[in-house]
Amino acid sequence: MSETRQAGDALREEVRAWLAENWDPKLYKSRGGADWTSTPEQRAWLAKVVEARWAVPRWSAEWFGRGLDDAEARIIEREFARVGAPGAGQDRSNLWANTALAHATPPFKAKIVPALLRGEVAMCLLYSEPGAGSDLAGVRTRADAHSDQRGDQRGDQRGDQRGDHFVVNGQKVWTSGAATADYGMLIARTDWDAPKHKGISFFFCPMKQKGVDVRPLRQITNESHFNEVFLTDVIVPAENLLGPLNGGWGVLQTALAYERSVMGEGARGPRSGVAESEGEEPLIALAREAGRLSDPVLRQEIAKAIAHKKLNALNTARAKADLAQGTSSSIMSLGKLAMSRILHEEARVRTLILGAQSMLEGQAYPRAEDANFLALNAYFTSIGGGTDQIQRNIIGERVLGLPKEPEVDRDVPFRAVRSGATPKGTKKD
Amino acid sequence: MATITVEEREAIRDTARRLLADRSTEADVRRTMESESGYDPALWRQLGELGLLGLIVDEAHGGAGAGAMELEAVMEEMGAALLCGPFLSSSVLAASLLNALGDRGAQDRLLPSLADGSKIATVAITGPQGTWTQDGVAITAQEKRGAWTLDGPAFFVAHGQIANVLLVVARTDDGFAVFEVEAKAAGMHIDPLPTFDHTLRLANISLNNVAACKLNSTRPAWDAIEDALDVARVALAGEQAGAGAKVLAFTVDYTKNRFQFGRAIGGFQAIKHMAADLLLESESANSAARYAARALAESAPDAKAAISLAAFACADAFSTITATAIQMHGGIAFTWAHPAHLYLRRARADAQLFGTSNFHRERYLTELGAPA
Ligand SMILES: Cc1cc2nc3c(=O)[nH]c(=O)nc-3n(C[C@H](O)[C@H](O)[C@H](O)COP(=O)(O)OP(=O)(O)OC[C@H]3O[C@@H](n4cnc5c(N)ncnc54)[C@H](O)[C@@H]3O)c2cc1C
Repeated sequence: MSETRQAGDALREEVRAWLAENWDPKLYKSRGGADWTSTPEQRAWLAKVVEARWAVPRWSAEWFGRGLDDAEARIIEREFARVGAPGAGQDRSNLWANTALAHATPPFKAKIVPALLRGEVAMCLLYSEPGAGSDLAGVRTRADAHSDQRGDQRGDQRGDQRGDHFVVNGQKVWTSGAATADYGMLIARTDWDAPKHKGISFFFCPMKQKGVDVRPLRQITNESHFNEVFLTDVIVPAENLLGPLNGGWGVLQTALAYERSVMGEGARGPRSGVAESEGEEPLIALAREAGRLSDPVLRQEIAKAIAHKKLNALNTARAKADLAQGTSSSIMSLGKLAMSRILHEEARVRTLILGAQSMLEGQAYPRAEDANFLALNAYFTSIGGGTDQIQRNIIGERVLGLPKEPEVDRDVPFRAVRSGATPKGTKKD
Repeated sequence: MATITVEEREAIRDTARRLLADRSTEADVRRTMESESGYDPALWRQLGELGLLGLIVDEAHGGAGAGAMELEAVMEEMGAALLCGPFLSSSVLAASLLNALGDRGAQDRLLPSLADGSKIATVAITGPQGTWTQDGVAITAQEKRGAWTLDGPAFFVAHGQIANVLLVVARTDDGFAVFEVEAKAAGMHIDPLPTFDHTLRLANISLNNVAACKLNSTRPAWDAIEDALDVARVALAGEQAGAGAKVLAFTVDYTKNRFQFGRAIGGFQAIKHMAADLLLESESANSAARYAARALAESAPDAKAAISLAAFACADAFSTITATAIQMHGGIAFTWAHPAHLYLRRARADAQLFGTSNFHRERYLTELGAPA
């Protein structure tokens, strides 16, 4: 016990000293969660963090890590957070790098993992389609294996099986960040005769090529982060296949787990940029500013909303403690559902505090702008990454052990599976 | 207080769990709750022998010298088993009030017998509105030639009818003070109340010129009372978290085994989604109760905020879980013979003790630096 504490102290000292020497907050101006590309300064900083082995300390030394356990890695993350420096904790939060590390082919992994950690490539998720949302195993975008002569002669095992490249055709939708992405994590059908879960493969699909047509969609937030993506004869090198051919469903589970755990930790805050008082709970500050902090009904609502947030933090802390003691925790899977409630509730209470002012919008009314934006953006968490209803299915089935949903199409060849209406507004041309 | 390791804490929890699995079964609870006294004296003695009654009594007074975290853990087990008896009144509230006041004489006189179970104590504090606040206190104390007498009523006194000793909060010319009164003292009237939660005992008391012994306090008595209430709130939060988790567990189990339309009802989303939401409630209550216990044990600066958070989060979670559980079971849980309503009754009583959820939300905001 005391030995590990001493080791922790030494590590903390080391991180602090390194940050004191290297970190300059002026170098790195984040533009908030809304931007999908990183600046040269940001990339330079990330490269430094990776080189110093602070980015992924839980990983092995071979992969930029230090082989630390969770408790030790958290020390590093806390020190980075203390000074506001980004780049640490990527072994938890970088879903792209984690997925690639776990499943990419050796040559591709060597290339892509460092680039991802250094923020040199921008990414997007090519999962959802007009006909496949919650039911991702219903994707109809196809990837067909092609081999050229060179590949045949080389005759390496994987090349034989897969050909040298895949040709992808189909349509994706709701693809956040597709307009600026260098790669998309793509799920596509590679076997139409297998049941739906068994004929899907997982790729890193290069986005900057002819045949990738990205069309921004206007969101309810009046922003355009997500897009329709039309894929026509798009080329994906064979080495960009993650996991086995037709084994993409398993890879997707890894990637979704990281995505959901990140979404369980938070979401974008207010976007007006008009500062709220620091160090105080935003809802308290807002009520104070509005002169309504003594309204007893509002106080109850404010306390409830703050409590949701605090309880989720306590749950997460308990899950981490369980993890550190080697007992697995079911609490982790609750985070995203909890966060969705936190965000919807916070927006609701902001609106209660503002009252009639919440009918307004625009930069002249930043508080209304924020409340209304947050009320809309809460759906990012309650729909994106698996809806609240899907999360409840997962908690019920995987955590509580309740019977699985009946799936009429589970063991049927995918060819024979019925597809229904696709959402309006996602038109082919 | 001796420092207690995680392993020791789990051992204490285990001791409680094993004893209760054996002696506080549903059949035991049903028998005891219908008895006049509302507790099982043999089980009470055993709780004493195993060191549980004196859990938060220091070792010098025959106790285990444990703290809030162990208390919370034990209360999770007691809540899950719906233990009938004056544990919360005697071993928690009265003991912590004696601890907090610091009157050596009273501690020497009372703590050993609370710890071995030979005496039961409770605290009388509550006014007619059932609030555990200063403005509710309706008993006054008068001193004549060094002797104190008490007059007035207290309401909703938990286990008042079975206590041997009452610690009575009263107004004096010098502010609040705590008095020790024998239950059998002349001029003391104890009126048992019919309770909706049959596992609980409540009484109204009224005092008419009752001779009482004033307890010394090393600081303003109300501060000590608040501290004792906070210990009781942590304990209650543990009870609610433990009982809620138990109800959720047997409910989920039931939905796996009850078949309708050819399927286990737990496979229907209407049921499955309720279960998932209740798991979030249950785990959050558990986190809140344990965090409050730790904050109290470590005298953390945010201890009061943490305790109020736990108080309303656990009360609301336990109420929601028990109420929803009946709906998930269907008709079977509408029968007296099914245990669900026993927990619902406990949840509804617990939600009133030591301040309602609304009271604690108010206190929580104030503790966060935002007084009304
Ligand atoms: C802001 C935002 C960003 C997004 N970004 C991306 C992205 O970058 N990449 C990407 O691939 N996708 C992205 N998505 C898509 C997102 O993953 C899907 O919208 C989501 O999984 C739901 O699918 P759907 O929209 O087709 O709704 P549907 O699946 O059609 O669901 C409609 C309704 O039916 C319910 N429902 C469906 N199935 C069940 C079931 N089995 N049980 C109970 N209820 C059910 C749902 O909960 C929902 O209420 C994004 C979505 C949003 C809102």
